[in-house]
Amino acid sequence: MLNRSNRLVVNSIVQWSTITIFSLAITLPFLYANMRLQSVTSMNSISAITSFFQYSEATDALKFTIIESIFSVILTFIIGLPLAWQLGRYEWKHIRIIRALLSIPFVIPAIVAAMGFIALIDDQGPLSWIGIDLRGETGIIGTISSITGFENPGHFIALILAHAWFNISLIIRMVEPTLSTMDPIWEEQLRMLPSGNTRIKRLRNLWIPFIGPAVACASALCFVFSFTSFALVKWLTPNNSTLESLMAESGGTAGIYNYRIDTSEIVLAVSLIQLIILISALAITSHLQKKHSLRHSMISELGARTQRGNSGLVGKIIVITGMIFTSLPLALTVFSSFRVREINNGVVSNNYSLEAWKQVWNGDNSTIALHEALINSLIYALITLVISISIGWIMASCINRLEQEGKNKLAKMVDLISLAPLGVSAVMIGLGVLLGLLRWSPELFNWYFIPVLPHVLLTTPFVVRIMLPAIRSIDPSFEEQSRMLGHSGLRCWWHAKVSFLIAPIAVASSLSIAFSLGEFGATWILVRSGSWDTLSILVDQLMNQPKFNPLVYPMAMASATILIVLTFILFLMAERMRPKGEGSGF
Amino acid sequence: MHIRTIFTLIMMLNLSLAGCLGDEIPNEQEVCTTLSAGHEDDAKLRILTYDVLALTDSMINEFENSTGVEIEFIKVSDAGGILDQLMLTKDAQQADLMIGLDNTYLQTAIENCLIRETLFKQNLNHENISKTALESYDGNLAIPFDQGTVCLNYDESFVDGENVSVPTSLWNLTESQWKGKTAFPSPLTSSPGRAFMTATIDYFENDDDELTDAFDWWSAMYSNDAIFTSGWTEAYEIHYTGGYGEYVTGHIGDASLTVSYCHSPGVEAYYSSNWTHSTSLNLPKSSFHQVEYTGIINGAANVAAAEQFIEYLLSSDVNTLMPENNLMYSVIQGADLPETDGYRYHSDIAIETTDIPISRINSEMDDWIMKWKSATS
Repeated sequence: MLNRSNRLVVNSIVQWSTITIFSLAITLPFLYANMRLQSVTSMNSISAITSFFQYSEATDALKFTIIESIFSVILTFIIGLPLAWQLGRYEWKHIRIIRALLSIPFVIPAIVAAMGFIALIDDQGPLSWIGIDLRGETGIIGTISSITGFENPGHFIALILAHAWFNISLIIRMVEPTLSTMDPIWEEQLRMLPSGNTRIKRLRNLWIPFIGPAVACASALCFVFSFTSFALVKWLTPNNSTLESLMAESGGTAGIYNYRIDTSEIVLAVSLIQLIILISALAITSHLQKKHSLRHSMISELGARTQRGNSGLVGKIIVITGMIFTSLPLALTVFSSFRVREINNGVVSNNYSLEAWKQVWNGDNSTIALHEALINSLIYALITLVISISIGWIMASCINRLEQEGKNKLAKMVDLISLAPLGVSAVMIGLGVLLGLLRWSPELFNWYFIPVLPHVLLTTPFVVRIMLPAIRSIDPSFEEQSRMLGHSGLRCWWHAKVSFLIAPIAVASSLSIAFSLGEFGATWILVRSGSWDTLSILVDQLMNQPKFNPLVYPMAMASATILIVLTFILFLMAERMRPKGEGSGF
Repeated sequence: MHIRTIFTLIMMLNLSLAGCLGDEIPNEQEVCTTLSAGHEDDAKLRILTYDVLALTDSMINEFENSTGVEIEFIKVSDAGGILDQLMLTKDAQQADLMIGLDNTYLQTAIENCLIRETLFKQNLNHENISKTALESYDGNLAIPFDQGTVCLNYDESFVDGENVSVPTSLWNLTESQWKGKTAFPSPLTSSPGRAFMTATIDYFENDDDELTDAFDWWSAMYSNDAIFTSGWTEAYEIHYTGGYGEYVTGHIGDASLTVSYCHSPGVEAYYSSNWTHSTSLNLPKSSFHQVEYTGIINGAANVAAAEQFIEYLLSSDVNTLMPENNLMYSVIQGADLPETDGYRYHSDIAIETTDIPISRINSEMDDWIMKWKSATS
């Protein structure tokens, strides 16, 4: 049996090896793609960055990306904060189901979300019924456009609304635990003092300092996700590009010698500018999350809620509206899977049948059958789960250990590495992996498990984010007490650590399976190396087919419905695994 | 301190990887030779294609059952994606057969030695291929498997003959009644977009006006608020008012003219019980006869199975079903569109398609693309 110092050495070796491998998995493909693009374009990174502003499409995309990201953050904040406030402060029956309903958008594949949203804003959709035509931009939206000269305001509003839909769970998941674990006595005491006797003063002296870091952290992450948005931009603002969608469009021809050098130049310049902006945003996130995790866990959630009791009518309306907002695009997607158009003498009618489900199940439309795509998706999701939980746990433990040892700068660096996949362009990672495999290991090119790599890179940052606060909150004295009781190494590890982490592991597991099931963006370039169609790729393939055949669209929606159902089940399971009173967390 | 360390490490990695690239840079001049297999021969047939609708499960199962060869697909987004993939994987090709390169991309693939000879030209079935399908290319590196003519489609309910009349010249589209009413897929990212841009080169080289060229027209279209999209789907489905898009979620419907195929109105009618309000604009030289090819990849591992599949794809039984299965014309002599539900009736035959040879397309495409980009920005 290993003694304490040997155990620490082994721990340290395992942790640093894992971090090194993880870092290399991100940096090597990126650097290789970067070098290849430099070689193809005969430009170095500095000249690529300085040339960025020569490409009008790139500068337009940068402007649009920054504007839509900022507005998306503001709208997410406006919608999400009242929901977090209500959920965090009051008692709710079936709070797990409410949380699951409000959080599910975050793990819904972007392409499915895009379809749900365009159903919502369609000229026959619910928003049109109340006179808001975001798609056709007629009526009030058209008037806004003609008065302000703002082109396509409807499309822009639809996009930021969709981003808010996607990201409100970030606000809820990060702000709600802080609110729900705050001791109500603080507020009561502050009311008695001159510095808290008005709402404005309480806002300044209590709420902003208390929930400010959590809001800022959620906002920074929301900015990152809106900044890298691709599928929603493609479908909701067809006349605009973000930096990511510009790269995705140009990425296919990038990195090839003597061929379409212009696209290689754009991808090189855009990827570097995007890297600089996103790494900065993620550094801020990491800094804020550290602050945030130190502030909460003041009192048991259950105790705080019980003291405040049930919410009033306004609160109920807010939460019910929030649930309708998050469920409606999904319900419309499910509904669309049964609706098949029929045209007779120019008169369009809709039939409702299971025809599209039958066709997509059999796959007789040049695509893989639905059940085969489902099996592929599940296999990748399970492998991703095992790898990303292991890596995430090890990285979170390493950060915690470094913090305890007072090596805060090093801990921050590891934290930043864990977030890095969110900052590096998926196009560049995909391109690097593709080129790297061709160069050094072509026999792996068609390897079935290659898509697991982008899935792991995508899910690990979230596993770290979930595990880290939980690991930080474990009291190291538990381990010593367990040892004093004479427990063996394994039992000691189980009782003093794992038993406290079961809930976050369950949450991280369901989230990583859900992300893997819905992952599309990062795999898109790697898909070119084999035939491993997953459910989200099937949806995309069907959506990109010409829809002369009336069954194609409902077939895509049927595939999307399976994804929605699977992710919803996983989310409910995760919510059930959380012990009562633990707070929602993220 | 740590940031500096990370930066130094990244620079070191960067430099070491730069060394790895040294021997990768290809020579521009090369003589084509048949390459050895770029991947392991595991008896599977790997097909590089885009989402060609004709390749249904039942068709693939039939081939697999009759030959015992297992098929695996590597799918890319479109015809251009096939060329990109072939170029990218040139030194270690991962597929055996490509299906879907069209005649705007074929010559580039040939000149870059990306495809190798097939024996199908010696097969009796080759004689069944129509002359029109072999007009662009009749060599033994690629075999046509479907065809269609890319041309402008317009919404008949907008072009009513009273307020807006049928254009008699492409210049009509630069007039005020068409302001913001046209949608074009970009030639940078779309094969029909590329085909139509090629047609405009020929159109303006052969019109009476010697002072203007295609790019002047594209520039005028840009000034007339033409909508440019990344692909055919966005232009036809989201923006065009005359097609099925108006029944599909997400339709915007701000364009009454777009680029599609001359037989697209026929396809509309076929799926809408012989009804459509879309038709094609039949101006001489404004359309492009697009032919899609299949060919064995230079670096294929399973050449025999690839030959078998070409034979299967070009068999009368399979190929004559192209109009129903792939929404394109068959390449078999005498085969036509079905008459069911007005498919043939509503499909127009272009008066005169462009006749720019594929060698010129290949040599000038980069220049055209650059000029198109500057005309439309």
